Amino acid sequence: MRSIPRVARAFAVAGALTLALAACGGGDDDTSTSGGDELVTVGFVAVGPEGGWRQANEANVQDTFTEEAGFELKYAPATNLDQRSQIDAFTSFVDEGVDVILLSATEGAGWEDSLRRAQEAEIPVILVDRGIEPDDTSLYVTRIAPDNYEVSTAVAEWAVSEFPDGGNYFVLEGPAGVSVVNERNRGWDDAVASVPGLVKVGAQTANWSTEEAKSVFETVLKSNNNDIQLVFAQNDEMGLGAAIAVEEAGLTPGVDVKIATIDGTKPALEALAEGRLSFVAEYNPLFGETLLEVVEQVLNGEEVEPYIVVPSETFDSPEAATAALPSRKY
Amino acid sequence: MTGAPPIVEMTGISISFPGVKALDAVDFRLFPGEVHTLMGENGAGKSTLIKALTGVYKIDEGQILVAGEERRFGGTADAQAAGIATVYQEVNLCSNLSIGENVMLGHEVRGPFGINWKATHRAAADVLATLGLEQLDLRRPLATLSLAIQQLVAISRAMVTKPKVLILDEPTSSLDANEVANLFTVIRRLRDQGVAILFVTHFLDQVYAISDRITVLRNGGFVGEYPTRELDRTTLISKMIGKDFATLRSLGSERQSHHYEPRGEPLLKAEDLGRKGSSEPTDLELHQGEVLGLAGLLGSGRTELARLLYGADKPDSGTVWLRGKKTDIHNPTAALAHRIAFSSENRRDEGIIRDLTVRENLVLAVQAKRGWFRPLSRKEQDALVRKYLTELNVRPADPERPIKFLSGGNQQKVLLGRWLATEPDLLILDEPTRGIDVGAKAEIQAAVAALAAKGVAVVFISSELEEVVRLSDRIIVMKDHRKLAELENGPHVTAETIVAVIADEGDDEEGDSE
Amino acid sequence: MTDVASRLAARRGAIVRNQAFWGVIAIVLLLAVNVVADPGYLSIGYNSGHLSGNLIDILRASAPILMIAVGMCLVVATGGIDLSVGSIMVVAGAVSMELLSGMDGTTGDAALTLAIALGIATVLGAVNGVLVSVVGLQPFISTLVMMLAGRGIAKVITGGQNTTADNDSFAWLANGYVLGVPVVFLLAIVIVVLVALLVRRSALGLMLEAIGMDSRASRLAGVKRRSLQLTVYSVSGLLAGIAGVFATASVMTVDVSRTGYQLELDAILAVVIGGTSLAGGKFSIGGAVIGGLLIATLDKTVVFLGVPAAATPAFKAIVIVVLCLLQSERVRSLFRHRRALRAQSQKEAVAA
Repeated sequence: MRSIPRVARAFAVAGALTLALAACGGGDDDTSTSGGDELVTVGFVAVGPEGGWRQANEANVQDTFTEEAGFELKYAPATNLDQRSQIDAFTSFVDEGVDVILLSATEGAGWEDSLRRAQEAEIPVILVDRGIEPDDTSLYVTRIAPDNYEVSTAVAEWAVSEFPDGGNYFVLEGPAGVSVVNERNRGWDDAVASVPGLVKVGAQTANWSTEEAKSVFETVLKSNNNDIQLVFAQNDEMGLGAAIAVEEAGLTPGVDVKIATIDGTKPALEALAEGRLSFVAEYNPLFGETLLEVVEQVLNGEEVEPYIVVPSETFDSPEAATAALPSRKY
Repeated sequence: MTGAPPIVEMTGISISFPGVKALDAVDFRLFPGEVHTLMGENGAGKSTLIKALTGVYKIDEGQILVAGEERRFGGTADAQAAGIATVYQEVNLCSNLSIGENVMLGHEVRGPFGINWKATHRAAADVLATLGLEQLDLRRPLATLSLAIQQLVAISRAMVTKPKVLILDEPTSSLDANEVANLFTVIRRLRDQGVAILFVTHFLDQVYAISDRITVLRNGGFVGEYPTRELDRTTLISKMIGKDFATLRSLGSERQSHHYEPRGEPLLKAEDLGRKGSSEPTDLELHQGEVLGLAGLLGSGRTELARLLYGADKPDSGTVWLRGKKTDIHNPTAALAHRIAFSSENRRDEGIIRDLTVRENLVLAVQAKRGWFRPLSRKEQDALVRKYLTELNVRPADPERPIKFLSGGNQQKVLLGRWLATEPDLLILDEPTRGIDVGAKAEIQAAVAALAAKGVAVVFISSELEEVVRLSDRIIVMKDHRKLAELENGPHVTAETIVAVIADEGDDEEGDSE
Repeated sequence: MTDVASRLAARRGAIVRNQAFWGVIAIVLLLAVNVVADPGYLSIGYNSGHLSGNLIDILRASAPILMIAVGMCLVVATGGIDLSVGSIMVVAGAVSMELLSGMDGTTGDAALTLAIALGIATVLGAVNGVLVSVVGLQPFISTLVMMLAGRGIAKVITGGQNTTADNDSFAWLANGYVLGVPVVFLLAIVIVVLVALLVRRSALGLMLEAIGMDSRASRLAGVKRRSLQLTVYSVSGLLAGIAGVFATASVMTVDVSRTGYQLELDAILAVVIGGTSLAGGKFSIGGAVIGGLLIATLDKTVVFLGVPAAATPAFKAIVIVVLCLLQSERVRSLFRHRRALRAQSQKEAVAA
């Protein structure tokens, strides 16, 4: 019953929100510079609600850059994953003159002008998780992220060992054009291309969404007469959607169709423990500490590597999932 | 007239629409420096002939010569380029633009940096000056002006291109006497400059005041072309309607001899009914079976008072008693529930709903009164529609035709049917006969008389004083948004009486103020 | 003879001019393309107690779109627009999942949740209605506010997370079958028919059209604009709530940034394809249904044909642009004209 008070609370907040909107008076209350002049201001151009992984990642960043740690974090999530709103937030951080900007871009392309403005204002920019395209390392200080390429290579290696005799596979992608999608595709393709038996029957975007993944995959199963043995879902949510589609087609996920996903959220590990998913590669979101170190180095004028990889794990069995579940934070 | 050849000569023009022969071998000539009136009932083909000339409609047969050359225009703009400008009955201007912008729309003066607004406004001022409208503020948005002034702006707009032929399709239907006189001055000036003017109107007085020649059409056919001075009014009317004038006259005039003596409690009584800025507090009494005329010039506050009675505008002062009970009529829904109906003067925007059928337009108010969840069955609708289409002689009597395809007079009859269908005790008619032909006018007048005889109280508003005098039992004369006088009608009252009251009051006021 | 022929020609003309006709043609063509790609496309199988096949999938996928398209159709008829349907969907979904995740999974829980979710959706629709009819804001602005606020509300409800729940009865709404036919489609059709009957058997349809065509004239005719607008926006909210339940129940997950995202555009498109003018006035619920089915067919076709993800938006856009061109009277007359010219020149060639 814990949820009911939350719904009630939500509506209280939502009511206030509607009023504020109707009155066109959305005032910013996070401009409190009262905390003393030694606080370092950090502008975080974030993605906002997108899925469990992002939630964990951004909460982790927010928990790390606290006032106790000597930071004032300005968190600016995108409205509905819209790049436009991110660019606006980015620009206003530059105009405000924050000390450092953290950027998780919803879309890879189209950041050159904004990044150049930051450079002119001598504000260092650190890319968090998402890269930019084209990847011009001169435009930012460093990118800190788990390596998408490595993570999807790990999935591919599992697939190759799981299907020594080959099989048909389908890829559920994120939205076209996002750097994560391109990197995860590259990592997979490079590792699987050399294996003659594995045949790609298609790839389709399901926009990271469970609902869309289910709808897409039910049709894909029909157009291939259920002759698909492996699904590579580029995030957990889509993998779970595919599992539902498989079940509804009267097949058994994990037996008839094996599903591999990236991210490693709790629901995915639970599904792995139940055998509905077959492989989950973690894409570690909890790198706030590393990020903090890098920010301090940058502010002290130290050189940092242009790409800092966050280490990640993989889970290839129900047992591994069961073992990892109790300590899962996201 | 003069020895000059006609600037426009149309011969044997025929146009067919599906199922209707709209024009049948019609001839028409227009000479430079004359005012030529096109007469005929609504649906006689006047508008169609104009549209045939300007190329809005394609002609099936016949020949159009303009300045001696055979021409077929592709539409109003094409015709305008050839010097034939048209001002239509319904004002077609942009209400969100200013007067100056409307006048010069499409003819803006261009400078090196786009439109030169200063020069544009100067040009607009020049045009307005030729029409005697210098007093208008060029920068005022059109929406703030009365319909009458808007009409004058539309005419100014047509004069921008200095056309050789000016077509005026019922330009005077919304103007009061003063404004008409104003307009006629301009028309005469243009005529003397050699502009050929084609004029369409329903007001016989105006025909005789301004026009040099008359062409009469009836049912799409050509009746004849006559010099105005050789055609007397009675003959003209009988040529238009194709029947004897005596029958017509008897329709309306019987009313004045049957006066209703109000007795007992009034149906509606208002005290100090008013609204700031539009209507001074007014007292009013209305009895069953009585026709109350509201007379006064356009803008005298007749319409505003009627709207307050109906709740179309909310009164901010005064009290209304209905059948002896204090009643709050704050919106049209409440008015209809109290059996009050109101037909607006603005037929196009506040009357008909153009894209709905005749049937839907007719049942709308009854249905709204019942509420949407208690629909009239198709049978009930058909019965209502049949009843009123027959009673009011609506042509064509096709209930499923969109109302926009009916002539103005027939639209007005359908609207009258809409309000009658609500079975009102009080019916407010604001300019029900404006811009419609003599036949339809007589029919509507007859319907009003019949309603009063059945016990309905009618508030009748019209700019035509003769009509008010002919129909009303009592007449309230209004000026400057207030009631000037209340006259018991009788044989001694004429249009002149009312005009005298309006004129006198001005002197009285001066006397009072001392 | 010629009379019959001309009457037939006239009837054919009327059908061709009916915009929804072209929607049907487009659906048939898309299905035909799929059949060319796979001759077994249209076959409907029977497995594990229910019908299955691509057509069944299309029907299921169309259910949420039908709901919001019908609501949108009514709003558009009054001359308004409802941009908030997608956001109301996600609110209904978020409320459902948040409530169900704290419950036991009984049918009673599902019914209670459904009632609360739809109630909240209706209230949000009514807020739109009040903003439009009483406050007098433009529909575009009022519902835009709700579109932004709605997704915000959903995020607050779920704490910004995608929330998952388990309740078989609730999932049955979207995934179950009755007599082999998907429940979700049956429900959608029943609701559409109910709305259509409500609108056409009562005088509601006439009143809505009157408001949309000429609100001043209809006010003077006694039509209660305010209460009708309030009704219409509330109904649109309710239908969007149902769509939100359908969408989330199918995977028992609400995705706060994705559920219902940009579906208001699909709804508007469905309404327009169905021949209802955005200027208001005459509306066609049947047309909106055809529009909704077309959009679902198009979405499914893109996947079935394996159109590359990057090319998907372009593919959809082309289909819709072609459809709109065909619906345009002017474009069709251009074609007729050219055909006539060609026929004439052929005749002349023969004569020569």
